[in-house]
Amino acid sequence: MTKRSGILATVVLFLASLGLAQAPGDKQPYVTMAPVGNVQLQAGASTSVEMDFRIGSEYHINSHHPRADYLIPTVLTLNAPEQLTVADLKYPAGEDMAFAFAPNDKLSVYSGDFTINAVLKAPAKAAAGSYPVKGELRFQACDHSACYPPRSIPVQFQVTVVKK
Amino acid sequence: MKRNALVFVILVGAIMGMLAAGKYLDRTRKHGPLKMVGNVKGLQAPDFDLPTLDGRRVKLSDFRGKAVLLNFWATWCPPCKIEMPWFVELQKQYGKDGLVVLGVAMDDTDPAKIAEFAHDMDVNYQVLLGTDKVSDDYGDVQYLPTTFYIDRNGVIVDKAAGLFSRDEIENDIKKILASRYNPGTAQTSRAAIVNAPAHRKRATKAAE
Repeated sequence: MTKRSGILATVVLFLASLGLAQAPGDKQPYVTMAPVGNVQLQAGASTSVEMDFRIGSEYHINSHHPRADYLIPTVLTLNAPEQLTVADLKYPAGEDMAFAFAPNDKLSVYSGDFTINAVLKAPAKAAAGSYPVKGELRFQACDHSACYPPRSIPVQFQVTVVKK
Repeated sequence: MKRNALVFVILVGAIMGMLAAGKYLDRTRKHGPLKMVGNVKGLQAPDFDLPTLDGRRVKLSDFRGKAVLLNFWATWCPPCKIEMPWFVELQKQYGKDGLVVLGVAMDDTDPAKIAEFAHDMDVNYQVLLGTDKVSDDYGDVQYLPTTFYIDRNGVIVDKAAGLFSRDEIENDIKKILASRYNPGTAQTSRAAIVNAPAHRKRATKAAE
């Protein structure tokens, strides 16, 4: 490659990389949920369902119990069909972390992967069948220097009720 | 061989360029044409008419002749909370020179809660209740805090997305205070913006 064509190639790559460069705030934080396998539940019994979530690597979200009233907690809402009840939701404890924007002020956050457990119950008279449980996870994410508006992602899994 | 290498590099560059164009078009399709994207320095700041916490209405154009620090924030945003005492101090320090700090609250909540928060933070500047429209007009402000530094003629001198240090904020304030008011100038050309940095780097260590 001649010197001239090398310079030309470098300029082309530089301009193209400028086109792909993202300004702060162009990216959006994300939380994804791993699929939940089919949950089997005997009528008259209860079971625990683990829901695994993953937060984008550059972000953190407030835990279910953030350290200040003004912060928006992570909240899972589940709407169970008539044949089921959501008896309990168990959130993980947040991790106390300090960030560059407030090195002396620790926040209770989730980052990376976290799991929420839902305890589901089926009454003894529940009819056998497959029932969808739907809901949403609401969270508010930040990175090391700024925050994004609260968002929600859908949550859904299937529960099969069987008779004794 | 050399020719093949050059063709390969140009091909890669072209593909990256097309990806970038596709990304831009996708963003445009999703959100409609954004009025302010990319480098906004030198553009006329969009006017707005927003309610204040005490029920008045405020237009940006009310402050022509003043240097305006327009800060988009929210009560749920810890980095925004870091900046607020600095804005209070800077408003006190430079208010006599013509600085006007305007805080646009992007909360989707009861204004009384925003007012309580602002009171607790001893905010001495005007807090306006933000809308989707003002967010869209300023380029779909989703990343908080985001601050626009607007000179005395209503021209954006700089935009800071994310938290910056107090010193950096003060330097930008000095730039807008240094602008000269030209009454009757509806639009100021990009050429009128002097000494605007080409690129702002987000602070990694903001608390000083």
